[in-house]
Amino acid sequence: MNSKQANLLQGTLDLLVLRALAPGELHGLGVSRRIEQITKGTILVKPGSLFPALHRMEEAGWLTSFWSESENNRRAKFYRLTKAGKRQLDVETEQWTTVALAMTNALKAT
Amino acid sequence: MMRPWSRLKGTARNLLRKSHVENQLDEEVRAYVEMSADERIAAGTSPSEARRTVLAESGGIEQVKQAVRDRRAGAGIELFWQDVRFGLRQLAQNPGFTLSAIAALSLGIGANTAIFSVVNTVLLKPLTYPDADRMVNFLAPSVEIASDLHNIPEFHFLQRQTNLFKDVAAFDNAGPGFNLTGGSRPEQVNGIHVTEGYFRIYGAPVALGRTFTPQDDSPHGGNVVVLSYALWQRKFAGDPAIAGKSISLGNQPYTVVGVTGKDFVGGVDADLWLPFQFDPASTDFNVAYFVTGLLQPGVTIAQANAALAAATPEYLREYPKSWDPHFRIGPLFDSIIGDARNSLLLMLGAVGLVLLISCANVANLLLVRATVRKREFAIRSALGAARARIVRQLLTESVLLSLAGGALGTAIGFVGMRALLAVSPAGLPRIGENGAAIGIDWRVLAFTLGVSLLTGILFGLFPAFSASRSDLSSTLKESGNRSSTGFHEGKARSLLVVSEISLALVLVIGASLLIRTFIALHEVGPGFDARNVLTMEMSLNGPRYQHTAGLAQLLHDGRNRLNALPRVELAAAGFWRPIDVEDGTGFHITGRPVDKDCCGSKWMSITPGYLNLFRIPVLRGRDFNDDDNAGAPRVALINEAFARKYFPHQDPIGQHIDHGQEGGQRGIETIVGIVADFHDGGLARSADAMMIVPIPQVSDEYNAAYANIQPLFWMVRTHGDPHQAIPAIAEQLRIASGGFPVAHIRTMDEIMGHSTARQSFQMLLLTIFGVVALLLAAIGIYGLMAYSVARRTQEMGIRIALGADRSVIRNLVVWQGMRLALVGVVAGIAAAFGLTRLLSTLLFGVKPWDPTVFLVAPPILAAVALLAVWVPAARASRVDPVLALRAE
Repeated sequence: MNSKQANLLQGTLDLLVLRALAPGELHGLGVSRRIEQITKGTILVKPGSLFPALHRMEEAGWLTSFWSESENNRRAKFYRLTKAGKRQLDVETEQWTTVALAMTNALKAT
Repeated sequence: MMRPWSRLKGTARNLLRKSHVENQLDEEVRAYVEMSADERIAAGTSPSEARRTVLAESGGIEQVKQAVRDRRAGAGIELFWQDVRFGLRQLAQNPGFTLSAIAALSLGIGANTAIFSVVNTVLLKPLTYPDADRMVNFLAPSVEIASDLHNIPEFHFLQRQTNLFKDVAAFDNAGPGFNLTGGSRPEQVNGIHVTEGYFRIYGAPVALGRTFTPQDDSPHGGNVVVLSYALWQRKFAGDPAIAGKSISLGNQPYTVVGVTGKDFVGGVDADLWLPFQFDPASTDFNVAYFVTGLLQPGVTIAQANAALAAATPEYLREYPKSWDPHFRIGPLFDSIIGDARNSLLLMLGAVGLVLLISCANVANLLLVRATVRKREFAIRSALGAARARIVRQLLTESVLLSLAGGALGTAIGFVGMRALLAVSPAGLPRIGENGAAIGIDWRVLAFTLGVSLLTGILFGLFPAFSASRSDLSSTLKESGNRSSTGFHEGKARSLLVVSEISLALVLVIGASLLIRTFIALHEVGPGFDARNVLTMEMSLNGPRYQHTAGLAQLLHDGRNRLNALPRVELAAAGFWRPIDVEDGTGFHITGRPVDKDCCGSKWMSITPGYLNLFRIPVLRGRDFNDDDNAGAPRVALINEAFARKYFPHQDPIGQHIDHGQEGGQRGIETIVGIVADFHDGGLARSADAMMIVPIPQVSDEYNAAYANIQPLFWMVRTHGDPHQAIPAIAEQLRIASGGFPVAHIRTMDEIMGHSTARQSFQMLLLTIFGVVALLLAAIGIYGLMAYSVARRTQEMGIRIALGADRSVIRNLVVWQGMRLALVGVVAGIAAAFGLTRLLSTLLFGVKPWDPTVFLVAPPILAAVALLAVWVPAARASRVDPVLALRAE
């Protein structure tokens, strides 16, 4: 991962993970693929960033995890949003929207 | 928002179920890799190629796991725990280093714990009384009296200032003691007089009955007494029906009204309390009473002092014959600790220097070790350890050391302080008998912990930074495991040794000044001869001693009986011992213009023989004799200080001293002699003006007042060891007094020792600090030179092989070490010049910049340093060139 992308990710990785898990439970690779998909391939999250983030967010109480079978019958650890995680998603989405709007306006301003 | 509870749960799980967490992590990451590979296989890549690509893209399974570990909850704790375990292993591998570091630290921290435990007990522990912050002490109303004594009119006036004080009470200091009679063996107990408000001010708990009522404390209140819990248990077996019963004090019946609570200690230790029963109309101006008060809530001391000053004219209108009192109050706490604060803080400062020296010593050891471990750090850096990580590791090690030193030091300090106090009673307030009240509480522990952590960081930080700064490639390139001492570390180590030596010199100079003080105090002729003199106290209870005649009879009879004993050379009595006379009097010299504020001096009453017994010379005129009795003209002796002060151009002998009205008669005495000055206020104070009168000529009122507030001191000069004469003396005095015991039998030498206890204690402490500092500094410079010689063995070998003279080699090393020592000594002298000023209040008979001390102490230090340098120097000169050259 180059440093530019790392900087981009630092503020947004949490939000992306929360967003990726909003529709339902996913395992680590699933989260990675979902993020790739919803960002239209712009952001690729590598396991060295993904797993620390998942573990940290689980410790923060936003995610909960359980072991289950994957689509091709491998045992994998699945993550799901908790109530707190859903609240966090709302809060961060709103924050992000505000900031993004402000930034867009700022950059458009002459 | 992070939820602290779920984070805490995570931390606990990560730390406590580590293997489970690790297994799950491993499985999770592996599953990721497998599934990723599955995707690629499904897309047509070969299995082995798919796996390789996935691993390469993800950065490796172990790396991913480490990334999770580094970020998960409790990672800091885990890292710290790793550091601790690694540090402990490191320390265990070098027991020599570890032990010497812990020894140096425990000395430094132990000494600090010891002094702090005293500071804590004396200065920091709050008073245990409920309203301690509002309790005040009334200070001496006139410069003419040494103690904070007041008279009855002053007390009554102060008591009426109810807008300022909730309560005001008078009490007497040590009290006369009371003869608890009625049993088979009379016993003298410690009793004091108080006014009824005393118990309220001190918030005294009551175990049984009640304390005094205003009715008890009025002139017709009858014989009533309040017992202490301890006396009640000891003498009356805790009789639950004691209230209302009668006990016998000095053969008089007293009704017990109550017993105070178990732990109650008022302003003065006491076994029992009696009410003063002052006459509200009294105009007795004798100053004999301590006064304490409780401020009204919201009134400050400054406000109260201003209001008291403003009210003084009112007092003078009421008592026109009084002197002009200067009413002042101060916090009770300040009165209790007196001047102990200054001396304790100085000791704390001195012991802080010892700790700094310990720190410098250990820092030096660590620097040596850091040099040895340079390659270890270089390799760790090369493997990617951040510099902060190495600093952190080293700091963990040094804090481990200082904590071990702190734990050992606490034990050493506590035991050491107890031992020291057993040898040398400190003469400090609030510390109990032989320092029994000094203990370890949370403040002491917190202090020691704080000091330990701070020390660990202080001596660890510097070596840690210098070690982590090392240049990687050059360190790794150096051959063998011998990396040379870098220039910076060499300079740093020299600087540490120089500061150690200068600090040690400051302490040695301080200690020398206190030793000189101690010697000066002991060389001071007290002005009397204390050897082979026994003093003892007798309580003069009962109506017989409320009249001068009865007292004079006892004195006459007692002296005759004692003088007849074979071991007794001479016996006398007085209401004061010559070393601690506290009473004073105001007077007017007949024939001079009346000036109410003119004249005052100390005052003591004695029997004939007293001056002779103490070998206090009568310089002019005559001593008292048995003819100076109640019927004869009243006479007085004065000391030289009195003569100088009040008769500078006049012969005092034959002059008259007028005390004004004393009860019914006018007290006028004729001066019949001048005695030599003696140290009547302790050895460290020069003699005050003093007048001396014979007890048989003192008025009934005055003698009765004395008998009520003070014991009578009997003094006996014996042939040979005074102790052997005690039983016979006590027996004769019991017969003469009608059955009263004597108590507090001590030799005058013991009492003299007591009066310089504080100075002895300070001297001992600072001497111990000085010696420890000297040792640590010597070890420091020895270590530096020994290390430098060891490093330069090869160089020495070459020099010798090339024909250098061995003495030249030795002198080279000696000079190298002594140069540091001399720089340290010069810096130390400069520092001492600045710092010894702080000691000036503790000094007696010696100036803070005493030339003898400043000339003698530096050479002592230099000599010790030379000794410490000589050993490695001699070793350097004995280097065998062949061995030295082969060693590499």
